[in-house]
Amino acid sequence: MATLELSALTKSFGTAQVLHGIDLAVRDREFVVFVGPSGCGKSTLLRIIAGLEEASAGRILIDGVDVSQAAPVDRGISMVFQSYALYPHLTVFENIAFPLRVARLPEAEVRQKVGRAAEILQLNDKLQLKPGQLSGGQRQRVAIGRSIVRNPKVFLFDEPLSNLDAALRGEMRVELSALQRDLDATMIFVTHDQIEAMTMAHRIVVLNKGRIEQFGTPMELYHHPATRFVATFIGQPNMNLLPATVVGTDKDGLTVDIAGGARMTLPVDFGTAQKGDAVEVGIRPENLRLGKGLSMKLRVLERLGGTAISYGATQTGQKICAALAGDSPVREGEDIGLTFAPQDAHVFDNAGRVMRRLAAPALAA
Amino acid sequence: MANTGQSAPIMARSGLSEAAFAWLLISPALLFIGVIVAWPLAETIRLSFTNATLGGEEYIGLANYAELLSSPKFYDTVGRTFYWMFLSVSLKLVMGLIGASLLNAALPGKALFRILVMPPWVIPVAIGVIGWKWMYNGYFGLISGLLQEFGIIQDRVALLATKTSAFYSAVVTDVWVGTPMVTLFFLAAMQGVSRDLYEAAWVDGARRWYRFRRITIPQIMPVIVSMALLSAIWTFNSFEIIWILTEGGPRGATTTLIIDTYKVAISSQRFGEGAARAVVIVALLALFSLAYLYFLNRVNRHYGAK
Repeated sequence: MATLELSALTKSFGTAQVLHGIDLAVRDREFVVFVGPSGCGKSTLLRIIAGLEEASAGRILIDGVDVSQAAPVDRGISMVFQSYALYPHLTVFENIAFPLRVARLPEAEVRQKVGRAAEILQLNDKLQLKPGQLSGGQRQRVAIGRSIVRNPKVFLFDEPLSNLDAALRGEMRVELSALQRDLDATMIFVTHDQIEAMTMAHRIVVLNKGRIEQFGTPMELYHHPATRFVATFIGQPNMNLLPATVVGTDKDGLTVDIAGGARMTLPVDFGTAQKGDAVEVGIRPENLRLGKGLSMKLRVLERLGGTAISYGATQTGQKICAALAGDSPVREGEDIGLTFAPQDAHVFDNAGRVMRRLAAPALAA
Repeated sequence: MANTGQSAPIMARSGLSEAAFAWLLISPALLFIGVIVAWPLAETIRLSFTNATLGGEEYIGLANYAELLSSPKFYDTVGRTFYWMFLSVSLKLVMGLIGASLLNAALPGKALFRILVMPPWVIPVAIGVIGWKWMYNGYFGLISGLLQEFGIIQDRVALLATKTSAFYSAVVTDVWVGTPMVTLFFLAAMQGVSRDLYEAAWVDGARRWYRFRRITIPQIMPVIVSMALLSAIWTFNSFEIIWILTEGGPRGATTTLIIDTYKVAISSQRFGEGAARAVVIVALLALFSLAYLYFLNRVNRHYGAK
């Protein structure tokens, strides 16, 4: 339905700058998720797109039209709030109809549009209830219904699932993805939950301290994190980072000595790295398996059935987490050996930038 | 039932049953209410069936009430009281809403304005009303002086000297005294309305007046109803403002039920007749209280947030 483009967007509250030049191009019918830790500026960015906050500088284009100065209603956006922002004194019908009433549409049209939204969201039998009589998931649907009836170009969601319990959240994730396909809509979704980002997004924007760390597909972020921040933010449990020293570079990649572990040659594009440089080797818990290489004292073991999450530390005190096979014959208190395939390793330079892996699954391309 | 658990050891030690223990706990309050409220009320009702004066009293049955109900003057007083109440409460509510909306707006220095609203409420009523009495004065009054200064009137005018102007002057003063509290209650209620609701409405294109009408008003409706009914009771019973300004004059133009009662019972020392009037007031206020509870209940159910 629409493209969204942000260029050189900045925002300061007083002397505190919360967004430092955001450039972003969202494609038509794309589901883009903004993800990042608290205070990274993701909600502020969304509110600026909505028109609830004014950017200090920069432009917002929807379908190529500069809407930076336009009122929210003239931008062609609709927004679902974290609190749902339902009007407690109005029925579900009137809540959904609110934008249409504001626009003074004829009664017949209001009924038709609310009816259609209610049908899509399975709220037909709830229309005469008050929001207070609904469950969390149903309230969520009413809030979405209110944003559907306006037929906006871009849907904005501000952490809409964070007030739901875990089971319902999973359900709503699936529903939202389906809804996005059914409506053929461009959607921007803000969350701090990387699972939501990974499962729903076509592309993810990882924000940190008011800057975009990386913008890419979920698999791109997982297999080719651009920075150490993205590497540790995406993926559950978090990626292990092991200090290492470069001992050589050749056509096979970078040879490093991993602290408390072995010497390995890792197939990465090492750029200007040279012998003696301090780097960090990142390895995801799910890429670690029992074997020779790193030795770790196993402190806590969480057996989830399919996997056994093992927490421990090397002799040098480096904390490690490994997601081992569920039936691994390990016990808490034991010393275990871990190893990994060289092509699974990520290497980060001193500045936290990645040395791109040369061998990664085709999925991540 | 958690309370029972806690009080059980005390009861066991004192050898009291749960009911007796409960009566023991409320007995100080009960005694207090009995002496301050119940006994005077009972005494007033008893007096209303007598012709009590300073000289003594005698049971005369319903004679006081019969006289009241057959007196056109009394009906005038009741009508005037309701008109006084209706006018004053309406103005307080409207001005309170306007004031609260202005104070709630994100303006620089709003804290200062919030403080400036307070004086009519915090200074003693008598002092404020005496100030108004001076302003209404025909010889040296500020209002008369200004009106002459700007050429709106030729001769000086004593606002409290004629029936109509005295009545409306009293209303103005009553509104002046009563508005700040209504304003602050409305302001507190408005601040309790979630900002998200306004933002959601703003995103959907609702302008200021629309948001006020469809979000603010319904959201603070329980407080509006509370303030309307409480304010009605207080205004109905408002004594000192009228008494200081006009003592119910000129020629009864500002005599409300409460003033009439005072004049009969205290000034004229016809205690029995005064008591009958007081009983009428109690009955009317009891009706207001019932209406208050009824409406509050309904409004809470209708606009209830939960």
